[in-house]
This record gives sequence, C-alpha cells and structure tokens, in this order.
Amino acid sequence: MSAAHTATGEAAARHYAGGAVDDIMVVGVGGQGVIVAAAVIADTAMLHGGLEVKLSETRGMSQRGGSVSSHIRVGERVVAPSISPGEVDYLLAFEAAEGLRVAPSLTPGGVAIVNTQQIVPPLASTGIAYPFDAVERLAAGHAHVTPVDGNAVAEGIGDVKVAGIVLVGALAVHLPFAVETWERALERNVPPKWLEMNFAAFAAGRKIGAGDGA
Amino acid sequence: MLGNEAVARGAWEAGVHVAAAYPGTPSTEIVTSLARYEGVYAEWSTNEKVAYEVAFGASMGGARALTAMKSAGASVAADPLITSVYTGVNGGLVVCLAGDPGMASGMTEQDDRYFGRMSSMPMLEPADSQECYDFVKLAFELSETYDVPVMVRLSIQTAHQKSIVRVGERQAVERKPPHRKTEKYSLLPRFSRPMHRSLIERFERLTGYAEATAASGELARVEPGAALPGSEGSGWVPLAEGGHTRIGVVAAGAACISAKEALPGAALLKLGMIHPLPVEAVRRFAATVDRLFVVEELEPYLEEQLLAAGISCEGKRWFPQWGELTPVRVGRGFVEAGLDLPRWAEEKAAEDDSVIPRPPVLCTGCPHRGMARAMKKLDLDVHGDIGCYDLTTLPPVEHMHSAFEMGASIPIEQGFTRAGGGEHGGSIAVIGDSTFLHSGITGLLNAVHQRTNVTVLIQDNRITAMTGGQTNPHNERTLAGVDTKPVDLAAICRALGVEHVAVVDPYDYQACLDALKAGLAFDGPAVIITNRPCMLFPSKAAGLGAFAVDEELCNACQLCMSLGCPSLHHVEATHKGRHKVAIDTDTCAGCSLCEQLCGTGAIRRVDASDPEGA
Repeated sequence: MSAAHTATGEAAARHYAGGAVDDIMVVGVGGQGVIVAAAVIADTAMLHGGLEVKLSETRGMSQRGGSVSSHIRVGERVVAPSISPGEVDYLLAFEAAEGLRVAPSLTPGGVAIVNTQQIVPPLASTGIAYPFDAVERLAAGHAHVTPVDGNAVAEGIGDVKVAGIVLVGALAVHLPFAVETWERALERNVPPKWLEMNFAAFAAGRKIGAGDGA
Repeated sequence: MLGNEAVARGAWEAGVHVAAAYPGTPSTEIVTSLARYEGVYAEWSTNEKVAYEVAFGASMGGARALTAMKSAGASVAADPLITSVYTGVNGGLVVCLAGDPGMASGMTEQDDRYFGRMSSMPMLEPADSQECYDFVKLAFELSETYDVPVMVRLSIQTAHQKSIVRVGERQAVERKPPHRKTEKYSLLPRFSRPMHRSLIERFERLTGYAEATAASGELARVEPGAALPGSEGSGWVPLAEGGHTRIGVVAAGAACISAKEALPGAALLKLGMIHPLPVEAVRRFAATVDRLFVVEELEPYLEEQLLAAGISCEGKRWFPQWGELTPVRVGRGFVEAGLDLPRWAEEKAAEDDSVIPRPPVLCTGCPHRGMARAMKKLDLDVHGDIGCYDLTTLPPVEHMHSAFEMGASIPIEQGFTRAGGGEHGGSIAVIGDSTFLHSGITGLLNAVHQRTNVTVLIQDNRITAMTGGQTNPHNERTLAGVDTKPVDLAAICRALGVEHVAVVDPYDYQACLDALKAGLAFDGPAVIITNRPCMLFPSKAAGLGAFAVDEELCNACQLCMSLGCPSLHHVEATHKGRHKVAIDTDTCAGCSLCEQLCGTGAIRRVDASDPEGA
C-alpha cells in the first residue's frame, strides 16, 4: 500500500492497475491550511494523468477554528467522493487531537503523518479534557505513525505558514507520484512569491517522511 | 471542479446573462463563480425572494437567467417560485436549489424535491460535477422549449465535491424580444385559471419527454452492475441466507453515487430527471430484477410515487429517512435487507467520540463577542437570528436561547414579550446587518406599529460573514464591482419610527452593558447597533496590538475564558486547582475584552503596534 519511495509512472501504473483506490484524509483546525494541502494532493494525482481523482470539501465553517476534514480518493476508477469509516489509507493530521479523533477510520496498515502541534479549543475551559497525549495514543494504536514538528520545521525554513506543506512532503514519500508532479501541483496552488519556500518545505517534509522507514 | 463551479460554468456556456442569489451554504459558490465570467451580470440580492424575482424579471426581459439558493432560501422564495411555473418564461430560467441532508450548515434538512412536486416545476438531479455542468445547459434548453423554469436540484455532497469536467465554449445566445404580455404575467384570476390548465398540459408534454429520454438512455441510464466473483453474472448479488438474487436499484444524485459505492454488483437505474418521473422506465427496469430498492435521501419521494404506480419496491424500510446517505449507511441498509456484503458487515466508527469536540467559534477579535458576554452577564432571554453570533449559543459563552430562521428574531421577541416573557434579566432580539436587511426590517416595523416594547440588538459587522463574506446593502461595493451607497442602519430604524437608536463599540464591555440596560429600560421599541467590522471579511483585519498574561498575577478566575476566545488557553500552572491562562500573542487581535474583564491586572498589552493608539 505504501512505500513507493522512488516513485515513477510505472510504479503508479502497477499500484493502481489492480483496482486499488487510495483513500487520503486531511484533517486539522480551521485556518491551518487543510484545504490547500488537500488541493495539492488532489492536483498531483490529477496531473499524474490517467487516474480518477475525487475530493470532497470540508463541511462546516472552515475559517472559524472548527474541525476541518478533506477527503481525497485516487484510483483508476473512483465512485464516491467521500471515504467510508475504517478505510483511510493515509491520514494527514495538521493537529494532534484532530488526528486522534479520526484514528478509528484508519485501515490496520494505514499510514498517519501527524503534526505535533496542539491547539486547545476554548471548550476545554468548561472542564472537558484536551488529549495532550494524542500523538502517543495514535502511535500506540497504529504501526505507521510519523510525528512531525511541522511548525518548527516551517519556522526554520522561514514561515510557520508552510507547516502544512512540510506534512504533505512527509506524505509524498508514501504515494507513487514523481517529485516534479508534486512541484507542479504546488505551483498551481501557491502564489509565485511563496513558491520557493513551499518547495523547501516540501523537500524538508520528504526527508522526514523517508526517515520513518515505513 | 467543485459541483457548484461546474453549475456556473455550464450556465455561462449556456449564455446566462443575469444571475441573482442570496448567499446560503451549500449553494453560495454558484453565483460567486458566475460573477467571475465575462458577460454575466451577477448580484447578491437582499434575500432569496428578491433574487428569484430579479432572475424572473430578467427572463421576462428576454435574457437567460439563473438563481441559486439553499433549502431555507427556497422557502423564502416559495411565492415567486410557484407562481413563475404558472406564467412560464421568456429567456430560459434555471433555479439551482441545494439541499443539506445531514445539516452540515442548514437549520433543517427539508426535502426540496417537494418544491418541484408542489409547483410542477421540472427537476433535474446531477450526481457529479460533469452532470452539474451538463444538466444546467440542458435545463436552459428545456426551460425555453417547455416555457417553464427548470430546477437543478443539488445536495451538499454534489455541490461540495470536486471531480473532473470536460468543458466547452460559451454559446452566443441572443436576448429574446422582451415580453409585454399582460395575460402571461398578470396573476389575475381570469388569467391564472387558464395558466394552470396550460401548466398541466405543459407538464404532460414534459412527462412524455422524461419517458422518451429515459427510454433512449439520455437522461436515465441502466448500468448492469459488476459481475461479482461466484455470481451468475452482473446484477446478481449474494444473500446472507445463501444463493444469489437479481438486485436492482433506482436512485438519483448523491444517493446514486452512494448506492454504486455500496453495492457495485447491483443493476442500477440512474435517474437524471426526477420530476416528472419516468415511471414507465422504472417499471421496465423493475421487471428485470427480483428485488427493487429505492435509495434516496430524506423522504420517500421516489418510493411513494413508484408504489402509487403499482411498482413493488423497498426503500425507507432499510435506508434512514434522516441525514446524509453515505455509502456506509446505504451498505448497512443492504445488509439489514439480507444481502451478503462483507465490506459493510460490521459497523465501524469513523471518529473517536471521546476526543473533545471542536465546533467552530467566534474568531479572535470578533465584534460579536463583547455583546454576547454582556447579554450573558445581564442574564437576558436572547432570541437570535441566523449568523455567526449563533456560535456562542454553545459553551463556554452560552448566551443565546433561540436561533430560528432569517428575520425571525424580532417578531419572535414581540410574541415573547406579548406572552409576558422576559422574567430573567429581560429579553432581547439579536440580528446581524445582512439578516436585518434580508427580512428583519418588516419585523421591526411591526413592533413600531403595534407599540410592542422590544429591544433589538443589531450585531453589525458590515458583511454577510457566515457564508464567507458576501456583500450586502451595507457595503460600499456590489458583487459586480460597482461603487454604491451603503445604507445607514440607524437611519432606517429611525425612519421606521424607532425613537431609541444607540450605536456602541462592541470592544468596550462597559459600554455594551450600559447600552443594553438603556435599551431595555426605554419605553418603546429600542435598537442598539454595534459598530466594528468582521475580522475575516472583506479581508483579514489587522490586529490592535496583542495582549499577554502575567502568570504571577493570574488567579485562574476563568472570567477571561468565559469569552470563548480562541487566542486564550489554559497553561499547566494552577491556582486553587484551576488552570491559569495564557494568550497566544501571534493570533490575539487585541480587542482587549479579556483585559477589561480581568480583575487582577494580569492581562496587559505587549504589542505596541496599536493603530488606534489605545
């Protein structure tokens, strides 16, 4: 399912020829850039060519600090745009507790890239506990979890805003698409003046993803 | 393309000239997208009824026109919607109606298909972006051919998914000579009686069209289903009790996609036109299967019509009448019905419900927060309307007690007052600028006329915020990019006869409390208007200088936390068993409400870059 580290067109063709559908879920908190990351992933699969790609946009009010999720399905033939419970192959969590929330949806062999950033919602002031151990709990329940301090890496590159693309980079090593295709998708979704920084974030993410040994 | 973007593209190619709507999730992006195309006049109208009438007028004037709305919007526009089917059109008129099964953002999950049935308006229902594009183009043709507005029925799943669309070019559609036909457009009984008979006749011809295009496979398509391993061929599905049976599914739109995902082995009759229903096509399909299932969201709209036609079918017995019909819910229904489907055999959780919920909250610096907290402090009965201010209905602010429908707050408050309500600290109606202009004014006029002693708070943020920042008559520019004169809310209220109109800065907590008290004390209808703009729209507002908490001074009293501000959070340090608080200085907008509430002086401004010099 994963581990196509040296992605080529043939690798992707082999990967999807048997009717496989990759179910990719991106979750986070409104305002974190979940929508852009999902668009980059979907565009990469689309630009790769020959694949059907469906994306279902987030529900609710994405800019007001609520939970946000985006579903992307890729295969030679994809019917429904949303992922069914228990069938997520790849989870990209921009916030640790949001990752933990959807963890039951991962397949047994599913891959999770989890930002270690924690955003405590205002509701915590009413006494409902925020899971500060979310990353540990995720890793305890699933074999292929890569924690990424996306915000620190992004700040090192120059702007915390590219944290999401660091995570996308870490995911990219698991998917059968060429680096050039990812970069073309970034070009489509990022303003030109931010492009170099996004390329750097993507490359840094790839390094982290590859180091996992998944 | 997003389903809604595909609708816009199809409409543009079909030569649409006028598009009018009031924003409403999940329909908003249709007109947002159309506004970007050359040769289209697009507007955010004051409400859905006005939008419908503008589009209808454009049709009368000979142009192709479109209006789009969410379910609740169709209820607002129901009068012209139903009447326009009687009169018919000149230029093609397409009505895009986007429902919200599952209520991701709607107040109800009403089944919009009954609007088509009630009015005899033909309805097309696309299932993906390609069909959104195709069906809108077809809808304009049908509208002009059959002299009737045509509805394109969407659901949130169709409107908000992205899939590939093969596009074309814009058709050159000439404006038709404008109609000046009194007998066609005047709903006087002597004209409207023959109109109804004409409508019945037009509908009969449309029924012929629905059957013909179903028989030809143009608008209703039979898909034989995948041949499952070990089965006797396509359409045969294994049963839990052993053996196989031929299963047929009738569905349209998003439900059709879910049915295909849930049961690829079944034969599928996919309907494109759902009103009038090609009943004979379904009858022929039913004869080819052993069991016929109807998969549809919400009400048994198709099922009842098929049963009435004597076609035996199963539907709501297995598939829930509420919520979105996702593949898993359809799959579980088929399992309940005795089919052997390993993928859906077990019930699987999508989420861990023990993780703290994260509903959307008011933004940091939101101009609604100060008044919300002040109303809570005064223990008012608060009747809200539809807008972002509803977000503080939930803990920790919890200040609002009803949020009903657009424009309802002011009349509800009148009835509540007449019933003798307001035993708590008093009672108040809360409405936003956009909603006040949508349908709040008539309610306020009623209070003035009836001498009903109500207090109304207009939470004015100078934008239609909740749907993503659309313009309204309180803005300086229109969607079409024209400079315009913003209305003066205070002047409107005074002109209606309100004698107490106060404008208050919602960042000044004491001023909020004082204004509320003065409004409540006034004998007669009183209006209070806040005067700070939205933090997000039209563009993200610059902060006023961030605050920080001195952890030494903080006594963990939790007053600031009661504001529900996303920039405030607990730290590990505690005082008397309660967590102390910190402020995220990167996001803090500097509204200073927490500083005003803090009794120990622990909260101080740290960022001196305050453009107001406060």
